[in-house]
Amino acid sequence: MAPSTPTPPTPPVPVDAKRESFEREALVHLDALYRVALRLTNNAADADDLVQETMLKAYRAWDQYEKGTNAKGWLLTILRHAFINEYRRRTRHPENVNLDTIEPFAVFGEIQDEDPQGAFFDKIVDDEVLKAIDQLPETFRETLVLSDVEGMSYQEIAKILEIPVGTVKSRLFRARQALQGKLYDYAVSNGYIKGTPA
Amino acid sequence: MNCRECVDHLYEFLDREVTPDLERDIRQHLVECPPCGEQFDFEAIYLKFLRARCRTQGAPEELKRRVLRELFGE
Repeated sequence: MAPSTPTPPTPPVPVDAKRESFEREALVHLDALYRVALRLTNNAADADDLVQETMLKAYRAWDQYEKGTNAKGWLLTILRHAFINEYRRRTRHPENVNLDTIEPFAVFGEIQDEDPQGAFFDKIVDDEVLKAIDQLPETFRETLVLSDVEGMSYQEIAKILEIPVGTVKSRLFRARQALQGKLYDYAVSNGYIKGTPA
Repeated sequence: MNCRECVDHLYEFLDREVTPDLERDIRQHLVECPPCGEQFDFEAIYLKFLRARCRTQGAPEELKRRVLRELFGE
């Protein structure tokens, strides 16, 4: 140690360190945020605004985020809160649906003789699937989107939606069955399969 | 395990969200019960189809530019 050497000034934190970590951990999820926003709002312009707002909020709160944990889950939580607090209040009301009365429609039972391998699915294009998802009640839709579109685990979904894991399971089960019923009806009405529409 | 119990865990099993014990019981039932096996195969095809159809869409380029502009003034 050389006491005569003046301590060099602490190097300033690079101005772009925050930006660099935000780009690496948060901005990479822009596509995922947009897909979820689009399904929640059902509208491209609102989805743009919701994503923009989410990113601004996330950047302001970036110091609160524990780096290297689950940025996607953290961002989706911010996005969902922004949606509930601002968009849903302004644009429409949550559906007043009694989710218990939505009976799962057992497609497999209808189709096991005609198309047990589900070949009819291949004929249904992206837009039709997304349209069918958009018709689901919001509670089902958000659960299904986080799972099937974004590949989140039950635990991650439970955290984002602030519900127990058991509720994630039951909502996901019924959401997938309800969606399958819609796709089946679509396939029947387009003549992809004979079937009998529900 | 009976068919009803097996189907109750259908999606948890396909999502790999079951415990090892439950997974073993389900697998055993699926071997012993071809109708349940067919149903699980059908649902696995359905989930694969859903993922393939829904994950292609990304954020528009204009939105990406807008976010960068807002955040970093670019």
